[in-house]
Parts: sequence; structure tokens; C-alpha cells
Amino acid sequence: MAANIVRKQISPAVGPTVRERLQAMDDSAVVTAFLGGEERAFSELVTRYQTRLLNFVYRTIGDREKAEDLVQEVFIRVYRHLHRFDRSKKFSTWVYTIASNLAKNELRNRSRNPLVLFQTVQKNFQDEDRPLQFEDTTSRPDDMYRKRHLREVVEESVAKLPEHHRHVFVLRELEGKSYEEIAEITECNLGTVKSRLNRARNSFAEIIAPYVD
Amino acid sequence: MDCREFSEKHLAFVDDTLAGIELVRMQRHISECEGCAKQDSKIRRALLLFRNLPAIEPSTGFAERLAARLEEAHENDLLRETTTRNLRRGAVAATFATLASAAMLAYIGSTLYQTEMTRDVVMPPVVALATEPDLSPITTSTPAIVTSASAGLAIWPVALFAEEAPVRFAHSRFELAKLSR
Repeated sequence: MAANIVRKQISPAVGPTVRERLQAMDDSAVVTAFLGGEERAFSELVTRYQTRLLNFVYRTIGDREKAEDLVQEVFIRVYRHLHRFDRSKKFSTWVYTIASNLAKNELRNRSRNPLVLFQTVQKNFQDEDRPLQFEDTTSRPDDMYRKRHLREVVEESVAKLPEHHRHVFVLRELEGKSYEEIAEITECNLGTVKSRLNRARNSFAEIIAPYVD
Repeated sequence: MDCREFSEKHLAFVDDTLAGIELVRMQRHISECEGCAKQDSKIRRALLLFRNLPAIEPSTGFAERLAARLEEAHENDLLRETTTRNLRRGAVAATFATLASAAMLAYIGSTLYQTEMTRDVVMPPVVALATEPDLSPITTSTPAIVTSASAGLAIWPVALFAEEAPVRFAHSRFELAKLSR
């Protein structure tokens, strides 16, 4: 079954009708379709969530390569355990909870092994390793440099936030999750979420202020 | 509204989830308090920067790597399933063997116990209904000879020899019943 998913994911020869039908469905219906034997539904879920999850994990852990690995791990877990997913709940919350736990584990492992942290940070700040495809190529070189510098500053500022603040901050500001969803994903109560978010916003504003004023 | 209240409600203010009257009070406080107004704009500007960070896209090999990992995971699942099934079968066989052994031991134990119990059983006395035949003594006029032959000899020559042998040396009265008892 996995092999079929794989082939269909890579091959463009997916029936347009089925694909269109899947694209029109909400997450719950796509999950139902997959559990009902429609293997292409899994590709649809991957397509919907890969970029969102990648950005969420990347902003949380700050390592692009590792973020891709973790997002793949998320999809493997989804594939394995989708039959156990409680369909009365939101699929996106479930998938973000998996991603959030993996990101937290990654950060915990790093804190136990400072060498890994150092190597990761060092690699992250090497220019040749940083993705350039998101730059606006129509801008002048000095504008590009300024934008790139600003992006780096923003990323570094986010990375300076405490882990549990950053987590909530990214889920709210980048992913647009509601407080309730964040509470469910991070397994905290609503008051804690609000408090952490408020502190994270204030801290982030303080950290980044000298660079933007 | 004071600055503390403003700070407490700022989260909802930025997220635009305040009720109408609260919203008006917050806006009025900003227009009156320079410090809170600065803080508000600082946070809003910072959030704007963060929210406008360019999104990153999965790398070109992402789909292929995911495909390979999914296939590998699927194979591992199959392997694990087979192993679990075999282990379950083994466990069933082991349970069956254990139960059979236990049953056998129980049977042997109960048999030994029963043997122990029935060792001293007293059987009822046998009542003989047939009368003992009256054994009449063998009477011959001539003395008989009793002989024996080793097992290595053929029986018929021995029998003939015994029949034809002179019997005068033996006593004529020979009570078989007495000898056999």
C-alpha cells in the first residue's frame, strides 16, 4: 500500500477527477477516504500540510534539514496511526500535536547534547546553507541584502525566546491557531497559553526593537 | 483604564477579540498614554515582521525521501506483524504444551494416589462350589522308575525309554497327590 502511495505521489498520472474530488474535500473527508481504501488521499494530506508543518517545525527548532526529517517523521506517524485518530476532533490539531511533540523532543535532545546544538547553530548561520529562493530577485542587491539581513535578525530573535514561549508564539503568529487549539496541541490550559503568548510577544518585541528602530 | 489593565488586555486587543466597549477603552488609553502607545506599536511592528517571514518550501528531494521512508515503514510494519503473529502462534503452542504437560502430571499423580489407596483392599472370600476331585492313588504291581531327561534330548525317545524300562526296582504304590502338594 505504501509503495502505491509513493508511486502515486511521485507520478503525475493521478486521475484528475479523483484528485480534484480530494482537493475539494475537507480534512475529515480526506481522512475518511484514506481509511476507506483511497490511497491517493494520503498524498492529498501530505500536499496540504507539508509546507505548513515544515515552517512550524523550522521556526521552532531553527534547523531546516532537521525540520524536514521531523516533518517526514510526522507523516510516517500519521500513516501508521491514522486508523486510531479520533475523527470527532480536528485533523490539523492532531497533526500539529505530533509535530509539536517531535520538535520538543528534538530541542530536549539538543539541550542534553550541547555539541549538537553548537553544530546546528553554526550550520544555520553559514550563508551558503541558507535558502535563497525566497528572496525577491527583482529587488536591487542592497535591498536584497537588507531584506536578507532583516530575515536573519527576525529568525535569530525568535530563536532567543524560551522554548515554551516560542512554541506558542509560532503556533499563534505563524500558523494562526486559536488559543484553544494551541492549548490542545501543547497540552497546556488556556490561561497558560495566553500568559505565554503575551510574554513571548513582549520579549520578541524587545529583542527585535534595536534592529528595526 | 490604567497601564496595568491595558497590559493585561493587550493580547486580546492585538488579536481583535475584545468586546466593543473594551476596545474603545483601550483605544482611548493609547491616545492618552504615550508609553503604552509606544509599547503597542512596538509589538505590532515586531509581529508584522515575524508574520511576513518568507515561508520555506520543502526541498526538491523531499517527496522522494518521504516515499522511501513510507515504503520502509510499511515493510517494517509487515515484518513486525509477521513476527508478532509467529510469536503469538508460538505462545499458543507453548500454552498448549504446558497444559498438556500439566494434565499428564495431574493424571500420573492421581493414578499414584489411587494405587496408594487401593493397595490394602480386601477382596471378598472365594466360595468354592465344585468339590475337589478324589485323587485315587496309582497302583501298579511292579515297581516304577522315575527318570528325567535333560532339555537337550528329544522327548519321544525319552518317553519310549521310560515306558520300556524295567520297573521292578521301584515301589508299586506311588501317591501322586501327596508328592504334588
